[in-house]
Amino acid sequence: MQSKTIKIVVVSFFIFLGVVLFFYGAFLHSTEVTAQTADSPVTVIKSEPALVKDASVGGVARDKSGKIKQTYEKGEKPPETCST
Amino acid sequence: MWIQTAFLVVWLDPLGLRLHTMCSPVFHCYACPLATFACPIGILAQFSALHVFPFIAIGLLVTVGILFGTLICGWVCPFGFLQDLFAKIPTPKFDLPKFTGYFRYVVLIGTVLLIPYFFGEGHRLFICRICPAGAIEDAIPNMVSQAIAGQPIAWPNAVKLTILVLFIIAVFFVRRPWCRVLCPLGAIFSLFNRLSAFFLRFNPDKCTHCEQCHKLCEYGIQPEKTPNDLQCIRCLECTKCSPDALNLGSIFERPKTESDITINNK
Repeated sequence: MQSKTIKIVVVSFFIFLGVVLFFYGAFLHSTEVTAQTADSPVTVIKSEPALVKDASVGGVARDKSGKIKQTYEKGEKPPETCST
Repeated sequence: MWIQTAFLVVWLDPLGLRLHTMCSPVFHCYACPLATFACPIGILAQFSALHVFPFIAIGLLVTVGILFGTLICGWVCPFGFLQDLFAKIPTPKFDLPKFTGYFRYVVLIGTVLLIPYFFGEGHRLFICRICPAGAIEDAIPNMVSQAIAGQPIAWPNAVKLTILVLFIIAVFFVRRPWCRVLCPLGAIFSLFNRLSAFFLRFNPDKCTHCEQCHKLCEYGIQPEKTPNDLQCIRCLECTKCSPDALNLGSIFERPKTESDITINNK
């Protein structure tokens, strides 16, 4: 009985942790991304869902300075599928 | 089989929604034209390359893992389902040594986390560049459509081709070779097997040591000794043992009271 209680506590903790991480990522977390334009690079704030979508088509990459940049120009259509 | 087919309808984007802002908890390439969601392993690897913590993917994997463990592998994953279909072809089937299951953790730590983090998405061993799911679900259809359209064919790299060829040979002779040896997502879910809300329950009072479960298990596990083994994909074949010593349990079950026992005895 005690082991079942411990298991319920552990499961509840991990569910809580997972849900918190998920909702934080879905609604609060954002990252600065440098978007290429015809004139000069522009920094935009992208939410994590937008970053997930861009990452799934190879639309973002990290450059040598450590900044995250879009691989396509602002206003341009993103790639259709992942480059890998 | 019907449950796996039903989930397939979810993953294959029948409505063309392409909801790639979210991950699914299964191994299905997001480059596939028939992918509803993003692949969680692809997202872990891409975010590792970007040096950004993937809260959505990790949150989803932790929540699903702690609830179900590798039940996802056995009943929900479309790539596992594909391998199950190949396993129905009547060719001789061979078992693999148990230690081969640990290669999954090497793939997870190496090609999904460390290589992208230190060398970026362009490295030849980046998981998406060698993944057979991507080869089957996207690269091959792309090559076929390029050939039909008369365009130059973009061949996958040599490592991806090699893994694909080995995988295609292996599925005829080994049950679920990708899941058993290399799948990084299965490696993550297996870590939750001993803690998950749904688990395989072994009742030693009912066990007659007939070892029927050894024969029912198609993955070389001895379920009565390690019912929530790291290698187990929770196909639940072992629960068909006649003494009924193995069954799917959950922490949500109400403990039996005296009145329940009295009603059952009546």
